Amino acid sequence: MAEILANGVRLHVQRLSPSGGPRPDSPLVVMVHGMVMDNISSFYFSLGNSLAHAGADVICYDLRGHGRSERTPDGYGLANAMADLSAMLGAVGVDRPVHLVGNSYGATMALSYGLEFTDRVASLTLIEPPFLIEGLGAEMARSLAQVLVGLSDAEVEQWLEHSAGRAVTRIARSAQSLLRDTSIADDMLATEPFSPERLAQLDVPVLAIYGANSDIIDQAEGLAKLVPRCTLIVLEHHTHAVLREASDYLRTLMRWWLFQRDTPVPPYTRMPGRAFATPDWVTRMIPPSDLNSPGKVDSRVNGADLGTSP
Amino acid sequence: MTIQYTVASERHTASERHTASGEVSTADRAVAEEQVLGEVAALLRDVIGEEYVVDLEITMTTSFNTDLELESIEFVTLADRMRERYGETVDFVGFLSDMGVDEVINMQVGQVVAFITDCLLEPKGAQS
Repeated sequence: MAEILANGVRLHVQRLSPSGGPRPDSPLVVMVHGMVMDNISSFYFSLGNSLAHAGADVICYDLRGHGRSERTPDGYGLANAMADLSAMLGAVGVDRPVHLVGNSYGATMALSYGLEFTDRVASLTLIEPPFLIEGLGAEMARSLAQVLVGLSDAEVEQWLEHSAGRAVTRIARSAQSLLRDTSIADDMLATEPFSPERLAQLDVPVLAIYGANSDIIDQAEGLAKLVPRCTLIVLEHHTHAVLREASDYLRTLMRWWLFQRDTPVPPYTRMPGRAFATPDWVTRMIPPSDLNSPGKVDSRVNGADLGTSP
Repeated sequence: MTIQYTVASERHTASERHTASGEVSTADRAVAEEQVLGEVAALLRDVIGEEYVVDLEITMTTSFNTDLELESIEFVTLADRMRERYGETVDFVGFLSDMGVDEVINMQVGQVVAFITDCLLEPKGAQS
């Protein structure tokens, strides 16, 4: 399986099964990656193959405009993303509730999907979801602005042109094109905030995971307070890139969540010397000298004219 | 001697290379590995699809990262193509299940080739 036409968009889909194929009672897990600098590969390598090997029936896909899916000029709002997901699941013949797993924006989308289509969801796993009752759209647009700023920097351009290497350059060029040539930033800015009333009625088990050193860790408690059946896991020494940083533990945690939820939560043991303070996706993309200069980034955020506050 | 077992319908010929004790001779394994290397290299060139790789010699010690500068999503495509080619005989899900993305990209082509060869040469009935 590779390409599916869903909601009028060509989506790249990978279905991963245990050896011998999934059983009728295998949990069906759908993974939704993050925005702009992310694609199917993050979940495919961190959790996809691991959970399939453990017995799950796993579907990973590229969101529209990302990875190997079609890059449409517009249609990047949450409603579009949810319609794409519903259509994709229909196209591959899913006829039972799924365990939806999202990372970053993908987690925000998964939560929205769970609120909108509760009967289609068996559980939600939300890894570092941007979660705000007020100003969610502005927050997500601000994140995109930061990426655009980094990619627009003259030094970064030099670096990409001459020494970043093929893989990083391809990722960066793809992100530049997505941000400059599509409506994704405007669509993100239009994101509606979550309704506390609807969150309070969400009758689905939710596993929320944040890094204690994440730049959005202050949003974790709000989520856990508002969602009734939420298990919140905060990992010390980790950042917004916890999926990549702590993928070994997240594999253990997800096996517990899918197969052994009536037992105690598996303990987390940090690997000695492994502590993260700076977002990994940022350091992989932009030279640290540009990243760690908040004033410079902030001024350029305004310059990006996304209507957001620094 | 040519061993053709890479197409699903011909996969049985791999097990015909076993001796009565179930062992595969070193010579037969070397031939099998060379065959698989050629196939994986062809898939890699197709997945990368850029001029720089057309004439690049891909060997068992070629690194996906430092030599080929493969993007992680290109490895996803490669795995998909290998799965199409070798079918369920080769359990790529199991192979990749314990590896992080950095481990995968830092592999040498030979590690994938050896895994595929092991699966193809595994005696019938020994596969889980």
